[in-house]
Amino acid sequence: MAAPLPDVTLLGALPPLPSLVNARRLRAQRLGRALRLWVPAGILILMLAMCFVLPLVASLPSPTKGDIIVNNEPPFSPGHWLGTDMQGVDIFSKLVYGGQVAFEIGAAVTAIGIAIGGTLGIIAGYFGGSVDAVISRVLDILIAFPALVLALVIAQGLGGSEIHVIWALSVFGIPAVGRVTRGATLTIRGLPFMVAAKLSGTRGWRIIARHVVPNIIPTIVTFSLLGVGIVIILEGALDFLGYGIPPPTASWGNMISNGQQILSAQPEYVLIPSIALLVTVASLNMLGDALRERWSTQ
Amino acid sequence: MALVQQIQLQQGEPGARGRARRVTGSPALRMVGRRLLAVIPVLIGVSFLTFAIMSTLPNNTAQAILGLSASPAAVAQLNHSLGLDRPFWVQYWSWLINVLHGNFGTAVQGQSVNHELAIYVPTTLALLVYALVVSLALAIIVATLAARRPNGIADRINLTVSMLGLSTAPYAFAFLLIIIFAVKLGWFPVLSGPVTGPASFFRNLTLPAASIGFGLFAIYSRLLRADLVEQMQREDYIVTAKAKGVAPWRVLIRHALRNSLFNLITVIALNLGGLVGAVAIIETVFQVQGIGNDLITGISNHDLPLIQGITLVFALVTVAGNLLADILYAVLDPRIRYGSSTS
Repeated sequence: MAAPLPDVTLLGALPPLPSLVNARRLRAQRLGRALRLWVPAGILILMLAMCFVLPLVASLPSPTKGDIIVNNEPPFSPGHWLGTDMQGVDIFSKLVYGGQVAFEIGAAVTAIGIAIGGTLGIIAGYFGGSVDAVISRVLDILIAFPALVLALVIAQGLGGSEIHVIWALSVFGIPAVGRVTRGATLTIRGLPFMVAAKLSGTRGWRIIARHVVPNIIPTIVTFSLLGVGIVIILEGALDFLGYGIPPPTASWGNMISNGQQILSAQPEYVLIPSIALLVTVASLNMLGDALRERWSTQ
Repeated sequence: MALVQQIQLQQGEPGARGRARRVTGSPALRMVGRRLLAVIPVLIGVSFLTFAIMSTLPNNTAQAILGLSASPAAVAQLNHSLGLDRPFWVQYWSWLINVLHGNFGTAVQGQSVNHELAIYVPTTLALLVYALVVSLALAIIVATLAARRPNGIADRINLTVSMLGLSTAPYAFAFLLIIIFAVKLGWFPVLSGPVTGPASFFRNLTLPAASIGFGLFAIYSRLLRADLVEQMQREDYIVTAKAKGVAPWRVLIRHALRNSLFNLITVIALNLGGLVGAVAIIETVFQVQGIGNDLITGISNHDLPLIQGITLVFALVTVAGNLLADILYAVLDPRIRYGSSTS
């Protein structure tokens, strides 16, 4: 079930009568499909470059220390193109360094989710029976548990730091990835190639590595992209509630939380990080959608 | 589908005679009974997990009550009188016994948790139901309009708006609403006051409900739209209905929508747990007097009885949602209601 040729899926989505296939419409559809994939991918690459490469090649002002004399500068002022905040800290460089935190936490939590939740999900889905029953019940409890409560309790107990936020948010990631992986494994379990592998005497772990994992990777990748977006939003929520990245460090959630205090006078302090958040998460969601559309076999 | 099999298995019991047997043998009732029993281990698991996690974290309840300047001896004494120096399973057991007697204990600030819950739960439930009902109603209307002509203008607008809703952080959207409707237009208060009647309900809870509801609307309308479009293209009964000459709108609403609502109900029920988290954040933003806001305060005070009580209520909402979904399934789908009589 490698990625099928684009033409094959395209034909599948069209009306069954070949005479109705219109060459111009087909080209437009193909273009739309390419755009839906590459526009969000391009935006994400730009955002990643802005957050991780730009600070290396350009000298940005400090994201934590500012000059109080130039505080509350409006956007597009000289030297600070997004302006400065109440303490005179450059908002653009806060955005850049806050973005680093967001992407790092999003990637780390998703990686932990895949490593632990994915493994549990494959084991539950592949072996079934009592193993599946036990793992599924544990995942049920974790899902029924208001995960934000758990994340807040952990973050509060451990104290604020990036690594603690990652552990706290993994509470969301592990059961979610676990359930998706289990479902994906179950759908391929009864397929002929799996039966053939079993009948020809392939060992269990080898079937998992060679047949199960490659076939569920598309599902996991698309789900992970959505997951990274959700984690970034939740990381902001933890910061916002005061249990995330401790304040002097720049993060999008902290920027929103600080801006809240002077919301009516300077709404842009809240709007700028919110827009960064929206653009990032929307690109991740759209990329996930586009990949799912491309990989879905009909 | 597992549900159908489960019910069919239960049907295997022969010789259901007499009225009492008929009632207890009713597949819908037995299903509800089974599901109710399955709720108990989940609730116990959730509360146990909260207890276990809270007890492994550094405990500073007594310190929080007495202040930082308190002597270690005083802290140890208060810990003893609160029972916090006992092993955690002893604490858990006594808490569980109390809860079974309807007593959720006393919060750190001295107020009874039962009382707190009685005050705050109705507001949170009102907010939750408000957000859920409005977003669901809008999603059904919009998704049906969009599915009428896939890739048409209504569909494209819906896809764009729902993608925005899916990608917006609820708290960021809440601030946007505050800037527009509270600060600039002054239609609603920035911070919500207590809810006393219908008028104050709309005044205080509309912005919080909208903040929660936008994301919900996005999820529901996307799912419903995708499901409707797929059904309209593939299902045999749609072709039959169209061939019979049923009006297009009627096909969409009576045949496709009725079936699509099933999948939506499952998703809504399964998402209730996550929704509860969003409610807590939004309640904090607007300072709504609900359990979400109370919980955040409780966490910062390391207030175990309060956290336990509220977590249990949240878990109850989640499992009640799952249960409700199963019951609605049985009510809406005759195949499940009558068990093995079909297929």
